[in-house]
Amino acid sequence: MGAALNPASDIPQRDPATVMRLARLGSFHQSRLSFMRILTRRMKREAWTFSRPVFEIDAKGVGHAIYCTHTPDRTYSLVAFAHDLPAEKRSDRVIAEAWDSTFTMFDGVPTDADIERLRANIPLQEAGRVTESELSVSRANRSVRLWDYMVSCLADGQQPDPAEVAKVGYLMRTTAVYGSGKLGAADREVIAGRPECAAPFQIEMLSVFLTRTYVRDLMQHMANLKGGDRTATLSPETARSMGIGNSTGLGMAPFIVNHPMLFNNWIAAREEAIARVRSLATATVADTRLFTDLLARSVQSAALWRSEHPIQIEKLDELRQDLATLTAHVNSADLQSDHPWDRLYQWAAGHLGVDAQECLASLMLEPYGNIVDDLADTMAHTQTDTFRIDGTMSVGKLKTVLDDAYDWALDVDWNAKEHCARAWYVSAEKLEPRLGERFEEPIAPYEQPLAPGRDAAALRTALADWAPDDAIAGFLLACPEHRHTVRRAQIVARAPYAEIRDNTIGSDLLPIDMLRCKLSFFGAMHFDPRSDRWVRICMFGNAPYPEELQSRDADLWPYPNGAVETS
Amino acid sequence: MSYSLNEIEALAKRAARGGGLSWGISEEAAKAVRWLTSHGLPGGEALAGLLGQNDGVASDQVAPGDLDDVWHASNGALCPLISGAALNDYAERLAAGTDITMRDVSYPLLVVPFAAWAAMHIKAQVGVSWGGMRVVTDGNGLGISDADDALLVTKTPQLSCAQVTTATGAFSQPLSRGEVSPGAWATLNDFAQRTYAPATEASRRLGAGAGVSDND
Repeated sequence: MGAALNPASDIPQRDPATVMRLARLGSFHQSRLSFMRILTRRMKREAWTFSRPVFEIDAKGVGHAIYCTHTPDRTYSLVAFAHDLPAEKRSDRVIAEAWDSTFTMFDGVPTDADIERLRANIPLQEAGRVTESELSVSRANRSVRLWDYMVSCLADGQQPDPAEVAKVGYLMRTTAVYGSGKLGAADREVIAGRPECAAPFQIEMLSVFLTRTYVRDLMQHMANLKGGDRTATLSPETARSMGIGNSTGLGMAPFIVNHPMLFNNWIAAREEAIARVRSLATATVADTRLFTDLLARSVQSAALWRSEHPIQIEKLDELRQDLATLTAHVNSADLQSDHPWDRLYQWAAGHLGVDAQECLASLMLEPYGNIVDDLADTMAHTQTDTFRIDGTMSVGKLKTVLDDAYDWALDVDWNAKEHCARAWYVSAEKLEPRLGERFEEPIAPYEQPLAPGRDAAALRTALADWAPDDAIAGFLLACPEHRHTVRRAQIVARAPYAEIRDNTIGSDLLPIDMLRCKLSFFGAMHFDPRSDRWVRICMFGNAPYPEELQSRDADLWPYPNGAVETS
Repeated sequence: MSYSLNEIEALAKRAARGGGLSWGISEEAAKAVRWLTSHGLPGGEALAGLLGQNDGVASDQVAPGDLDDVWHASNGALCPLISGAALNDYAERLAAGTDITMRDVSYPLLVVPFAAWAAMHIKAQVGVSWGGMRVVTDGNGLGISDADDALLVTKTPQLSCAQVTTATGAFSQPLSRGEVSPGAWATLNDFAQRTYAPATEASRRLGAGAGVSDND
């Protein structure tokens, strides 16, 4: 692997003006740099061990369990509370007040006193309170249909039909996983210095990984209680095919606008990885064989991907056709000499839609872990100096930055209804981020600063009367309303992928594009929009369970391996 | 009550915005409160007091008019957040050895984090003096002179800020949690509420985009 690495990438990273459009960001796929895969690779490499010291759940499915993860340096414990939830209370919305199961990730091993404290708070979620000992708070609801089906099958001594299992893909879906200080939990800064937390969202991913094991165990436990001696044990293959669902609404979309440096670092890491691979002069037979194998498995994955949403159905049709076209091309193309990956990428840019282009861009990285995996440690936001405004920057320089990074926005008529039809706001109810119709609802006074393009255009206009040599500090003293946007512009001047280069308040905005982009970095697959602003996904599907980490592949699990029925 | 620093920052940002400050200043106000509480100082209380005092006052009334001599507001006392932001924007003046003096400043404690960021930027210690006391910071750490009675005053007739050439030691380092009193927290919440749109049946149904059953 990587014998032909040219250490000085001669192919540059892709132009932010191309990458940062919503249609492309909304077509991103998981990759080697996805947070779930960064975690499972580390677990295997460092030989993490796992234990379940407590599993006390009664016949009604009520109780608690503890799942411990032992890293070389410390222990993290998922504390799970199981509840008996009436159907009428089951809601994926953030406004829900009860769930099938609730969780917290405890930093260390909880004492009995900790458990009693958590029992009084975790089931309440937002209405509860946690401490610096807790690293995350989350909850999950059952897929009622699949849960009942699988419990019945196993209790009857039968294995569930893998095709029925594949139709849903998970037994429970999380509806929120809170970290970074929410509800009183430890701030990110408390754990940021730990090597296993260097990449983003590792604790949250660990929480979901352990939740998947708990859910499998709980379902089996309930089947055992129902079926007694005749109960079947779920086959490892079927168990492994299942992930944890996740239901994500609008709340996640503003995140990538509100964290421009972090967002830049995610995109920049993947773009650097793509540039490094495209810069390779040659590829070995083993490299190309792995690539073509994973391409075939991606075709299979696309066949398994289900959605009832019209936009997603159309995207899926195009993706499947494009992957077939790509496969045909790959079968006859020279993938070994004369910068094979760059040639393949260039061909795809001219022949395939953006969804397949991004699928290919992620796939090309797979044979080259030794070249790209180190980029995982660049994905967190550690540059603490980027918040400060450089008051000495000249007005002329700032204008140049705006003309470069926001050129798409400067000619837009931001007073035209279709270009500013929407407004992001926070509702008084549960403080939930929402997207409203500016001209139909009284929300404009509450608008959040989530339209960088419009704001940059306004800033560019305001600068017109200032001399090029004036310091921006003087401008900001006179026009403090532009301070937020000046900060963003200064960030994007040094972090070119910090900004979505598209309209985030237009009438044609699809918030699911923002959601998919973020979730693809988590490593999510099989995006299933439930509307234009609400998406279900599956996490850790086909991944090894804790006891399988050492005996099975802990890296390439997102790619199905022919074992799953597609009907 | 003990809060995570992210909780404090998130509420302070919304409160500052609800109090009528621009988004940019609100972001810095939030980081300022976070910085102060991480040093065990009553940043939340100071912000709550400032927002209550300046409620309904236009920002340009309490911003420094020009920065050539002693900074002062056109009408009333200087807002420490707007003045602090300008102080940090003009940090190079401190590096060049120029002292910055302000006349009539509300809640002067809130200027300190901005001086800290300026110190970090110019890679030197910066001292902030008012009411007979002095606070010195290198950006991360903080040293307070013994006479700290003036720490929590609601207004000082004069505040000066200068680079410290004789390095001072014994700085306190930031903590990972912050304390905000229930009264201040409630006040900040009241201001934050002003940024939330009242829920309507339509927004409940449409705004979050749900509408399908989750019992499937």
